[in-house]
Amino acid sequence: MTLSSHLPMRLLAILAMAAAPVTVVLALGYCHDPVEHESERALIHRQDDYVGSAACASCHPDQHASWARTFHRTMTQRAEPQNVVGAFDGRSVELFGQRARPHRDGARFLLDLPTAGDGVRTAEVALAVGSRRYQQYFEKIERPDGECFQRLPLLWHVGAQRWMHLNGVFLEPDDDNWSKHASIWNENCIFCHNTGARPGIVDLTTRADPSRRAYDSHVGELGIACEACHGPGGAHARAQQDPLARYAAHQQGVATDIVHPGKLDHERSTALCGQCHGQRLPSPHERIAAWLQTGPTFRPGNRLVEHVEPLSRDTPSLTEDHPTLFADRFWGDGTARLTAYELQGVTQSPCYARGQLACSSCHVMHGGDPRGMIEDELRGDRACTQCHAAIGNDVAAHTKHAVGSTGSQCLDCHMPRTVFGILSIHRSHRIEVPDPRRDGEAGRPHACTLCHADRTLAWSAQAMDRWWGGGKGRYQAPAQRPDGVALDVPDALASLLAGDAVQRAVYADALGQAGVAVATRDGAALRVALIATLFDAYPSIRYLAAQSLSRLEAEAPAPMRAAIAAFDHTAPAAVREAHSHTLFQEFAAHAAPRFGAASSPIVRADFTPAMDVIVALLNKQSGRVIAIGE
Amino acid sequence: MTRSPEDKTFTVGLWLLLVSVPLGLTLEALHALKVQVYLASALRRELWTLAHAHGNLLGILCLVLASIATRCWPDAGARAFVLRYLRLAAILMPLGFFAGGVLNYEGDPSYGIVLVPIGALFLVIALLRAVLTRSRSDASA
Repeated sequence: MTLSSHLPMRLLAILAMAAAPVTVVLALGYCHDPVEHESERALIHRQDDYVGSAACASCHPDQHASWARTFHRTMTQRAEPQNVVGAFDGRSVELFGQRARPHRDGARFLLDLPTAGDGVRTAEVALAVGSRRYQQYFEKIERPDGECFQRLPLLWHVGAQRWMHLNGVFLEPDDDNWSKHASIWNENCIFCHNTGARPGIVDLTTRADPSRRAYDSHVGELGIACEACHGPGGAHARAQQDPLARYAAHQQGVATDIVHPGKLDHERSTALCGQCHGQRLPSPHERIAAWLQTGPTFRPGNRLVEHVEPLSRDTPSLTEDHPTLFADRFWGDGTARLTAYELQGVTQSPCYARGQLACSSCHVMHGGDPRGMIEDELRGDRACTQCHAAIGNDVAAHTKHAVGSTGSQCLDCHMPRTVFGILSIHRSHRIEVPDPRRDGEAGRPHACTLCHADRTLAWSAQAMDRWWGGGKGRYQAPAQRPDGVALDVPDALASLLAGDAVQRAVYADALGQAGVAVATRDGAALRVALIATLFDAYPSIRYLAAQSLSRLEAEAPAPMRAAIAAFDHTAPAAVREAHSHTLFQEFAAHAAPRFGAASSPIVRADFTPAMDVIVALLNKQSGRVIAIGE
Repeated sequence: MTRSPEDKTFTVGLWLLLVSVPLGLTLEALHALKVQVYLASALRRELWTLAHAHGNLLGILCLVLASIATRCWPDAGARAFVLRYLRLAAILMPLGFFAGGVLNYEGDPSYGIVLVPIGALFLVIALLRAVLTRSRSDASA
């Protein structure tokens, strides 16, 4: 054989070896690219070097998977079947006297809503916001210069598995305006429920006329994704395509073209969460216009205070119509009392100011239970004893309460549940020592009386001074309460009936907690106070009171339990009040064998309510309307 | 000149390896260079890895069976049958896995994946005939 006779075979062999690489390259040119596909979808931009989480997944599959479990990912989603948690089952719901009907048409989610003049219109859900506690829905509205997304009046409450009206979940008095909360996603939710927000208000001069406002809104990614905490990833993704660059980065221990939150100091680390979990204004305020067009300027790794001014009790209101707009969100001593103010709480804490506390000291983004985002080993006291080890060695010696009891848990005293979220009460993130005088004079719930609901702040001051003050007067009773109630009235009863709306909400929730039933001697007073709270003018407070009553009366006689279950906090006032009177009667009828003798001033000997005392306390309410959405 | 089934199968095995080994190298390069269009699709990665694995393993199976076929299956007709179906399976299965990952959309492979069950059926037929023929040979011996 000659060389030439071998040549075709050699060529064929070379061609065979080249076949796979060439075919792969050609095939990839035709392949569906998930990253490119996502970048081309509506609302998505790839400006400012954002690349989206799908680009991160190819190199960081484990981190991507652990993030994908979180409720951050599902904070904003398109209204697609796998994303919508509400029951669009065609059944009508009646709330605050009007009816709506959530239903489906194939993959479309629709909501029939009442209109003026007894008409009905059908709104199609375009976006779903939230997925853990509740999910809100937005419809797309076409305007001359663009489209925007407007909030629909019903939300799905995940815990209760029922529809609720927005008027009944925020902290505000009853209001007949069914469309009161039809806010625009493009200038509200977009900032903190997405990554790389660019609200893109087309023409700022139209802001004065809501019906003319137009938007060209985009986000780097719907929901809170990788780049919210790690910063825009374009430069990193490009640089790390080079294997030599990757191994160089491995040698150095960290890539310098992306933010690693674990390598940041505690201020910058806290800022990552605080950019959203800390209500704020652009700083200086003149940046508001720029924010509304190109979005927030803070990027991970920055100092937050160079971009924003976290709201405080002293932040001047932006509107003359509501001078206490921001002050309402804080207790009298400046402690935040709403969710989404965790940054303010943490940065006011001694553990942060004098130590190295950061959000990541307790929370994790890539592990633990997504509900709370805390590793199992840091649940409960261990969050604190990881630093305060000496206390952890003998908890009872510090707490003076039985080990395992509510009073012996670090968080219940140092991070009590005093913060209102939508229809739920959360822990304060201002980690500090309770102080009866400070709390009482600030109109702020006090950790001791959140459990010992039949005790006064003076009683708390005495006990605290004996246990932790060395009997030297370190802990004092308040000189007076902001609501003017006499100091010999138990703090919980005074706050629940005479406090402002946030106080009432906090105590309405607290009185149903397990620890209260143990710590409080007079169970009858708890129940009578909660039934009295069902008359409250704020529907969300009524809801919390009904929930607490339901928990307290889980073992009550059947008629009482049935009456509690039937209470509807959104029913017309006359119906609710009649129902509450029935509850008073049911309670009195069955209380004697359960509670012995009544000892509270709000309960008579026959377990009927002492309405004169209750009304006197209710009359101490200031009447100042608090209206807080999110 | 007509080539024997053993010769054809041996050649297919060699060519299959000649294609599949560079495919593995190519896939490794895609990982090294972090080629997004490959890495971002979990299904594509799985299908092309399966194409690489099946190409190599079936190529080796072709080489082995072609080498021992005359000794194991004295019946020429049965031997030709087994090796023909083995060759078809060895070509169709890796090709199907690869094609399934070319125009796939998210969780579903493209239509090319249909070649895989056809190839697998051929492989089962080949193995069944091989076992039955071998059993008869053992019984008659």
